[in-house]
Amino acid sequence: MERTRLRRQVALTRQSLFDQGFLDEQFIQLEDLQDDANPNFVEEVVTLYYRDSARLITNIEKALEKNSLDFNKLDGFMHQFKGSSSSIGAKKVKAECTLFREYCRAGNGEGCTRTFQQIKKEYATLKRKLEAYFQVVRQAGPAETACWPK
Amino acid sequence: MMQGNIWISLNPLGSAQSMTLVLRFQIRPSYGRATFAPGTSSEQPSSNPQFRGLRVILADDDALNRTVTKKLLEKLGCEVTAVSSGFECLSALSSAENSVRLVVLDIQLPEMHGFEVATRIRKVRSRSWPLLK
Repeated sequence: MERTRLRRQVALTRQSLFDQGFLDEQFIQLEDLQDDANPNFVEEVVTLYYRDSARLITNIEKALEKNSLDFNKLDGFMHQFKGSSSSIGAKKVKAECTLFREYCRAGNGEGCTRTFQQIKKEYATLKRKLEAYFQVVRQAGPAETACWPK
Repeated sequence: MMQGNIWISLNPLGSAQSMTLVLRFQIRPSYGRATFAPGTSSEQPSSNPQFRGLRVILADDDALNRTVTKKLLEKLGCEVTAVSSGFECLSALSSAENSVRLVVLDIQLPEMHGFEVATRIRKVRSRSWPLLK
């Protein structure tokens, strides 16, 4: 049956996101919050993340372009960005954010710039993967969002 | 149930931002002893009977955190009003009068620091009037 195939695809896709280290347990916490009242909660939160964090990314980019880097400001932006990324379980993004903050504290501008490129890369990759994932979730139908194997 | 103000550092989502939980419970006869008989709860297995119907004001300027925390509190059975600033928090409280039992504040709110909001709430809620501006 098509439904069964799709459900299996959803489960496999989801598992691979965890296995490959893109997501951590925090994502499961979001899934646990999803219910009949908010059947698309996880997707909504992820969409919100990508919408809100785009602004932060731009701010960090601008701040990194300055001749003299304001590490406190950069750290402040990154603290916020890391927090949001953490909230959706973005494991790889979060790890790079931690590294970025370490470079900020060390006053290492080059390290910051380099790490930021990596953050953008991970951020974009995750976005692509999550978009593909939610597409399959939607195709599989509403019943799929209700319960996940733990 | 607790009396007075208790500060707890709440980090339910493991996020980098810390949150401060301000518990303001007045002694009310209806709360008395919350004995919980097995099998009485419920439609929502995860909801705590002590939280059910609890009116909460959640103040966080981050939309993402606000959304997730609100849902988390609702899952516990709370009735949540979400605001994004200290000022909104104070005005929401004044319109709700005594029915709000719990205020969850992000410590870093724009314009007014979380601690300041809490201090103002405390002053307003004390037995002595007038209201503090």
